[in-house]
Amino acid sequence: MTEAAFTADDFQPAAAAHSAQAASRPSLSYWQDAWIRLKANRRALSSLYLVIGLLLFTLIGPLIWTVDPSLQDLEQISQPPGADRNAVVVAPHSPWNGVARQPLGGGLGLAEPPTTQSVRLAWEPLPDAAGYRLYRNLFPYEPGQPLGLPLFATFNADRRHFEDRLDLKPRTYHYSVAGLDAQGEVTGAVRSLEVAVARVVTAQDAQDIGLVADAGQLSPGDRIKLRAHPLGTDYLGRDLLARLMAGARVSLFIGIAAPLLFIAFGVIYGAAAGFLGGLADQALMRFSDFVVALPFLLFMILLRVASGVQPGESGITPMVLAMVLLSWPAAARLVRGQILQIREEGYVSAARLLGGSAPYLVLRHMIPNTLGVILVTMTFAVPTAIFTEAFLSFIGMGVAPPTPSWGSMCNEGIKTMLTTPHELIFPALFISVTVLAFNLLGDGLRDALDARMRSAE
Amino acid sequence: MSLTVAQASDRRGDAAFNRSAARQLGLFGLATLIGLAALMWGLNLLASLTATAGGAPPAVDAANNAITVMLAEEPPQLDSTRATDQVSGLVLGHVMEGLLRYDQRGELAPGVAEHWRIDETGATFRLRADARWSDGQPITAHDFVFAWRLGLDPANASQYAFILYPIKNGEAVNQGRLPLTELGARAVDARTLEVAFERPIAFFDKLTAFATYLPVREDFYRAAEGRYGAGADQLLYSGPFAITSWVHGQSLQLDRNPHYWDQARVRLDRISVGYITSDPNTRLNLFKDEKIVMTGLTAENLNSALEQRWRIHRFMDGSIFYLEFNHREGRPTRNLNFRKALALAQDSGELVYKVTKAPGYLPGESLFPRFLDGVHGKFRDEHPARVRQMDLRAARAHLRQARQELGLDEFPPLVLLAGDNPVSNVQTEYFQAVFKRNLGLDIKIDRQIFKQRLAKMTAGDFDLVLAGWGPDYNDPLTFGDLFASWNLNNRGRYASAAYDRQVRIAQGAMDAPTRMAAFAEMQRIIHEDVVIIPNYERGVAYVTHPRVKGIVRRVVGADTDYTYAWIDP
Repeated sequence: MTEAAFTADDFQPAAAAHSAQAASRPSLSYWQDAWIRLKANRRALSSLYLVIGLLLFTLIGPLIWTVDPSLQDLEQISQPPGADRNAVVVAPHSPWNGVARQPLGGGLGLAEPPTTQSVRLAWEPLPDAAGYRLYRNLFPYEPGQPLGLPLFATFNADRRHFEDRLDLKPRTYHYSVAGLDAQGEVTGAVRSLEVAVARVVTAQDAQDIGLVADAGQLSPGDRIKLRAHPLGTDYLGRDLLARLMAGARVSLFIGIAAPLLFIAFGVIYGAAAGFLGGLADQALMRFSDFVVALPFLLFMILLRVASGVQPGESGITPMVLAMVLLSWPAAARLVRGQILQIREEGYVSAARLLGGSAPYLVLRHMIPNTLGVILVTMTFAVPTAIFTEAFLSFIGMGVAPPTPSWGSMCNEGIKTMLTTPHELIFPALFISVTVLAFNLLGDGLRDALDARMRSAE
Repeated sequence: MSLTVAQASDRRGDAAFNRSAARQLGLFGLATLIGLAALMWGLNLLASLTATAGGAPPAVDAANNAITVMLAEEPPQLDSTRATDQVSGLVLGHVMEGLLRYDQRGELAPGVAEHWRIDETGATFRLRADARWSDGQPITAHDFVFAWRLGLDPANASQYAFILYPIKNGEAVNQGRLPLTELGARAVDARTLEVAFERPIAFFDKLTAFATYLPVREDFYRAAEGRYGAGADQLLYSGPFAITSWVHGQSLQLDRNPHYWDQARVRLDRISVGYITSDPNTRLNLFKDEKIVMTGLTAENLNSALEQRWRIHRFMDGSIFYLEFNHREGRPTRNLNFRKALALAQDSGELVYKVTKAPGYLPGESLFPRFLDGVHGKFRDEHPARVRQMDLRAARAHLRQARQELGLDEFPPLVLLAGDNPVSNVQTEYFQAVFKRNLGLDIKIDRQIFKQRLAKMTAGDFDLVLAGWGPDYNDPLTFGDLFASWNLNNRGRYASAAYDRQVRIAQGAMDAPTRMAAFAEMQRIIHEDVVIIPNYERGVAYVTHPRVKGIVRRVVGADTDYTYAWIDP
C-alpha cells in the first residue's frame, strides 16, 4: 500500500480545457452557409455574374451608350454590325430634268456619279424600240435570264432617262434597258451597265442624326463618318444596342416587379391558409385551384380590353396586373405546405406555450423558415415572367411603339430574318441568355438553400 | 486476409457489373433510338396521309384544271350592295357579272347586257336571253332594279350608295326623301332595263361594271333573311365562277358556273383560295413551295426573288395612299395651319424610297393617280400636281400660328389610326419619329385590323389616319368625289362648298375639257387646303407561276382577275 500524498495543488479546480472545446471555425449563419455553397457552384456563380452584368447593362448601360433608342438614322437602315461608315456629303436631292451632266458611254450610261441618293441613267435610242423598260439586278446581264426588277416603263421612245432612288445601298448594281415594241413586248435589244454606288449623306440628315451641331458646317464633298452602331440598326435605322438597353428596362421591370408582387401575395395567402388550417384552408386552397384553371392568354386579353388601354399607351400595367392575378397560386401552395410542416415543429409549440400570438408565430418562426423556398421560387419566376412579357409583346399585346421591348424587337426582326438576321438574333439572344441565367441561378440557390438537399449530400 | 480477398472479388464483381450495366445501357439506348426513328417515320407517314387527304392542293393542278391562289384578307361579306373593300371586289369580280365588265385588255365589254344605248337623259340596256343565275333562272331587268333600290335603301346604309346617285332620284331616295319606287330605273320587260339620269353623265357605262351595280334577285335575297352574302349558300351567282365552299377565315373554293353565258372565255375549272394571309414571308414561302400561283414581293424579299431568278413583273394598281386628317369639330387637325405644318414637315420621297422601300411604289403628289386619262393624254401630264417640298422653317412657323389660333400651349398627342400590316407599321413609326423630331408633336399609334379600322374611321375616332383609295371606275371622279361633303367614304368629314361645287360640275358636265378643268381645280383645293398628305401611289412587284398564263392585273375592276387565266400544257 502506498501512501497517498496530496498537496494543496491537487485540490485546485482544473483549468478549462480550451483546446478541446474551442470552435475550430467561426460559426456560420444559415445565409453565410448558403453563400459558401453557392460560391462553390461554378454554374450558379457564373449565372449570378451574368445577372449582375445584365442589371449593369440595363441601369448603367444607357449612361455610357447615350444614343436615343428611337432616333431614326435613315442613312443606315438595317445595317449589320461592323458595316462601313464612310460617306460623302452631298447637296439635298432636287428633281432632275433628264439632262446628262457627264457624257454617256455607248448605250446605257450614267448622267451623274451614282450615289445612294440617286442613280441617274440615260440611254441612246435602241433599234426598233417604241418604248423602253428599265431593270435593276444584282447579277450581270445574261441573255435568256430574267433582267431583274422592272423599275420603269414608257411607251414614249423619246423618254430616255430615269432616276432610280429606290433603296440604294453602297454596292454594285446591274442596270439593263430593254426596248419594247408597240405591243409592250421586249424586242430583244438590251443594253446593260454595271454601277458601283457610293454612300452619301446630306448635311441636313447629318444634323438630324446628330453628327454635326449645325448643317452649315458641312459642304458638299466633305468626307464624314456616319454614326457607329456596334450591334447594327433595325428597319428604321434605330440603334440596336440602345434599343436592347431600353428593351431590357421593360423586360427586367416586368420580370422582377411581377414576381415580387405575386410571390408576396402568394406568401401571405399560403401562410394564412396553412396557419389557419381546417375549413379556411380548404376554402382558400380551392379558390387558388380555381385561379390556376383560368387560361392566361384569354384572361390577359380580357384584362387589357377591360382596363381600357388607349391606343398608343403601353399595356405594361395590365400585363403586370394579369400576371399577379394569375400566377400567385404556385407560391401560395408551396408556402402553405411548408407552414403546415413547420406548424407541428417543437419550437413552434414551445413559442405557443410561452404565449406567442398568431402573427408573432407566423412572422417570427414560420415565414423566416420558408424564406429559402420563397427565394428559389422567386428566382424561377423571374425568367418565366420575362418570357411571358416577350411572348405577349411578340404577338403585339405588350408595349406600344416606339417603346422597344425584347419581344417586340423579335417580332420586328422576324420579318427580315432572311435578309438582315441580326435584327432578330440579338434580341432573341438576350431573351435566351437572361432566361437561362436566371434558371441556372435558381437551380444553384435551391441547392444552396434547401436543407433536405444538404442532408442528402 | 480473407477480408482483402472478399474486397478483391467485390471489385472484380463491380467491374463485371459495370460491364454488364454498360452493355444494358447501350442496348437500351439503341432500342430507344430505333423506337424514336420508327415513331418519327410513323408520324411522317400519318402527316403525309392527312396531307393528301385534306391538305391544300398544289398551285397548279393540271389534271383538274385548277389553280390555287391566296387572299390577303377574308371578304367581310359578299353582298354586292354593301361591299366596299378590295378583297370583296376581287371575289365578286369572279363570281358576279353586271351589265358590262372589263375584258383582259381593260376595255369595257358587254356582260349581262347584250347591247345598250346611252344619251344625255338616260340609258336603255337590252339583256341577253341566255344570261342565267347559278340556279338556272334567267337574269332579268328586275334583278338590277331591285339591287339598285337595295343599294340606295337608307335602311341598308350602303357606303357605296353615292355611286348610284347618277340614277334619277338616287340621292333623294338614299336620304329618305322619296320612296324607293321613285328611283329612275325601270324594268320595261324581263330583258329591257331603262335608266333615267339625274343629270347628264359622261361615264355611266363605266359605272355599270362596278360592284354596287351588280344584280341581286329579290326572292333569293328575301329568303336569305338578312344573311345574304354571308356564306357560299347565301349568294346567287351571275359570273363565270360560283363559290362552292367558304370556310370562314380559312378558304374559299370557286368552281366554274355551268349556267354562265360566256363559257368560251373561261378556261379554268376551279380556283381555290387556299390561304388567307397578309404575311409576305408566308406568301413567298407558299410561292416557293408551289402552293400558290402568284405573290407580290416586298422590300424584304425582293433580293431573294432576284436570287431565285424569278421573272418579276411590275404593275401600278392605281391606288393612292395618304394621311387623312380628321376635319371634325374639336380636332386640332381641323386647323389649316396645323395641317400645313404637318404636310411641310415630311417628305414622301424619303418615305417611299428609304423607309417603305417597297418595289413599285411612287411618291404621292396628288389625289389623282397617274393612270387617269385627261382630255388628250394623261390627266396628270396635262395638269401637273403642285408638290410641297419639305421645309422645316415654314412648317414650324405654321405650327406656331396654329397654336395661337387654337389657343393651345401644347398640342395634345395625336392619334394616328392605321392598319396592322408590315408596310403601315413601318410607316406609322416613321411618321411618329418625323413629327416628333421636326415639330415636337407626340403621335400615338392605333393599330387596328381592317374591319376595326373602318369602324373607327367611320366613327371619326382618330386625328390622322393612314388611308388609301382604289379606283371604282376609270374616271377621275372616282377619286374626286371622295372629299365631297356628302360622301360617306369621306371619313375625315372634310366639307368645302368650293370643292363640292367642282364635284357637281364634274358629275354633270358631258364634255371632257370642262370636267378636266374641274378636276384640276379639285387638285388645287386639295393641295392648298391640305385635305390630305399624299404618301404614295401603290405599285406591285409580283411573280407568277411560269405555267399559268393570262392572269390579268387591272387598275379598274377586279384585281387580280383569274377568269381569263389558263394552265400552259
